[in-house]
Amino acid sequence: MPAAEVKASRRIEVPLNRVEGDLEIRVELQDGCVADAWSSGTLYRGIENMLVGRGSYDGLVITPRVCGICGTAHLTAAAMALDQITGASPPANGILARHLALLTEHLQSDVRHAELMFFADFVNPAYANCALHSEAVRRFAPFQGRAVVEAIKETRKVIEIIAILGGQWPHSSYMVPGGVSTVPKKNEILRCRHLLGQFRAWYEHRILGCSCARWAAIQSCADLDAWLDESLAHRAGDLGFFMRFAREASLDRIGRGHGNFLCFGQCAIPAGSAVRGPGGKSDCLVPGGFARGETVLPFDQEKVAEHVAHSWYEDYAGGRHPFDGVTRPFASGAEGRKYSWAKAPRYDGQPAETGPLAEMIVSGHPLFRDLVARGGPNVFVRELARLVRPVALFPAMEQWFAEIGPDEKFYTAPPRVEDGRGFGGTEASRGALGHWVKIAGGRIERYQIITPTAWNGSPRDSEGVRGPWEEALVGTPVKDPENPVELGHVIRSFDACLVCTVHTLEGRRALARTRI
Amino acid sequence: MSRAARRIVCVGSRFAPDDRAGPLVCDALRSAPLPGGVEVIDGGLGGLDLLRFVAGAERVVFVDAVRGFAPGKRVLLLSAAEASRGALPAYGHDGGLAYLLRALPNVLERPLPEVLVVGIEGEPDAESVARAAALSLSVATRGARRRASGQKREARGKAAR
Repeated sequence: MPAAEVKASRRIEVPLNRVEGDLEIRVELQDGCVADAWSSGTLYRGIENMLVGRGSYDGLVITPRVCGICGTAHLTAAAMALDQITGASPPANGILARHLALLTEHLQSDVRHAELMFFADFVNPAYANCALHSEAVRRFAPFQGRAVVEAIKETRKVIEIIAILGGQWPHSSYMVPGGVSTVPKKNEILRCRHLLGQFRAWYEHRILGCSCARWAAIQSCADLDAWLDESLAHRAGDLGFFMRFAREASLDRIGRGHGNFLCFGQCAIPAGSAVRGPGGKSDCLVPGGFARGETVLPFDQEKVAEHVAHSWYEDYAGGRHPFDGVTRPFASGAEGRKYSWAKAPRYDGQPAETGPLAEMIVSGHPLFRDLVARGGPNVFVRELARLVRPVALFPAMEQWFAEIGPDEKFYTAPPRVEDGRGFGGTEASRGALGHWVKIAGGRIERYQIITPTAWNGSPRDSEGVRGPWEEALVGTPVKDPENPVELGHVIRSFDACLVCTVHTLEGRRALARTRI
Repeated sequence: MSRAARRIVCVGSRFAPDDRAGPLVCDALRSAPLPGGVEVIDGGLGGLDLLRFVAGAERVVFVDAVRGFAPGKRVLLLSAAEASRGALPAYGHDGGLAYLLRALPNVLERPLPEVLVVGIEGEPDAESVARAAALSLSVATRGARRRASGQKREARGKAAR
């Protein structure tokens, strides 16, 4: 072969730090760029199979333990599925007590992801020559950076809202079909409002560098540029710093992906509430939908299917709807073709990314529509969407705390139902979360869960189409294969979370491969 | 949350055989009356969110499954510094207790509480759970330093006899 035709090709395996559970990324590099990628969930847990045969309400206790950081989202989905099965109609108070805990979880998760995980990459030695590196170290150095220490303190306080509403945190189980099982007192509601107000003040001061109202006025890329130049406070906030660093690191040029967005929607607005969703609509705070380009279609859970052609499960042809899904581990006999414990969920046959950016696109947020129209989805816009999502949550939460009537009902007893099936879909902090539940004779007959990371981190499907972040990695330039920080940016922009695993303290960490 | 000054925070998942030591010790401790001022908490997979149980306490004893600290020993007592030596270099969803322990000196108001970890190596059984429960209760009540000096006095007493 002539020398000119020989391409520099190399495969690297990258275990990922700062994700929940076990994730390994394998990429093939050609001429310094990712030519192909494989995402492998390396841990089987079997929560769904564990639920089969248990009492019909057991998902309310077990599924919040799927994850230590998004247990409220799992509880929400489990309760919604049982609402549907039993025909329950929770009173407004019950609905609001659910919403407020779920949104609090988002507040904590969004801030922690940015300040403690995503921005931690800015102190990577790869950026030692960057003009903003020393400032990044002052802010985001692990354990001691100014922003890190503050984020730990502030997110600890705000999560008390869930402990107050749900009786405990984490792993609350206070949502039940028909509403909630805990009734907050007036002084507890006041305490929640105080905690929320404190967190908002800190968020506006330290992260936005402006009021939420000022940020909400940004409607386009031009507005965004003008906002950054408008004042020193805007540039000095963690958001402004992120924008400046992202420009220097060209984060808007990596992590493109398929360009399909999926959102299950969240927080149905109870009758009589003054809260409004996007466009002034009164049905939900965040609408569900599937978007590609300018087109947004309403979400229909019937269009969800899971493929296992490249997953370590017993094969079946094509995809199966979760109500018909099975989870039968099958780890031998197909190594090479099968490479992940994650299944490959598809919507109407297509892979789709989910998360805050998908929420913004499906909701028709003008700034994010403009950003994606100009530069496509990318690392910068994905992380920006996550960092500013709280802006829309604060006003809704404040209004809903004001609307809760402590002396009114929080629960309406549903009829006892022995057989049926139901779907509970919501937005977890990392994106679309669904529980599909079948009960028979008062027992769980089938329980299928599709998490946001199952969407984002899926392996290839029956057609051989890559999952969203596999696709987003393709084309990423990697300057130093021994320190592939660029791959970390791409994966972390999705907030990878392969479900909670074993949290055992380890005395030593002996790792043979590069972790990022 | 009550104002108990001494807390035993049991960490882990009931559904993972190699991570259920903490919840089992929690059950054991709750099955008998506790001394005044000691509170037992099922910390689950709380990770960094367990910070709220440390703030304002006089002494906190975490109970968790451990691996690789003292081969051959089933139940051991570790300082916060010892227990956090395997912490990841930065926070992650899987940061867990090790990250929390390492971050504590930077995020807590002074004076810092005494923080210790009772660890169980390997899969827990009835004996190791009972020993870990007794040790965590003893440390929560008396503290590691007083407990250690008490043991020395006891040893000296035995030698003199």
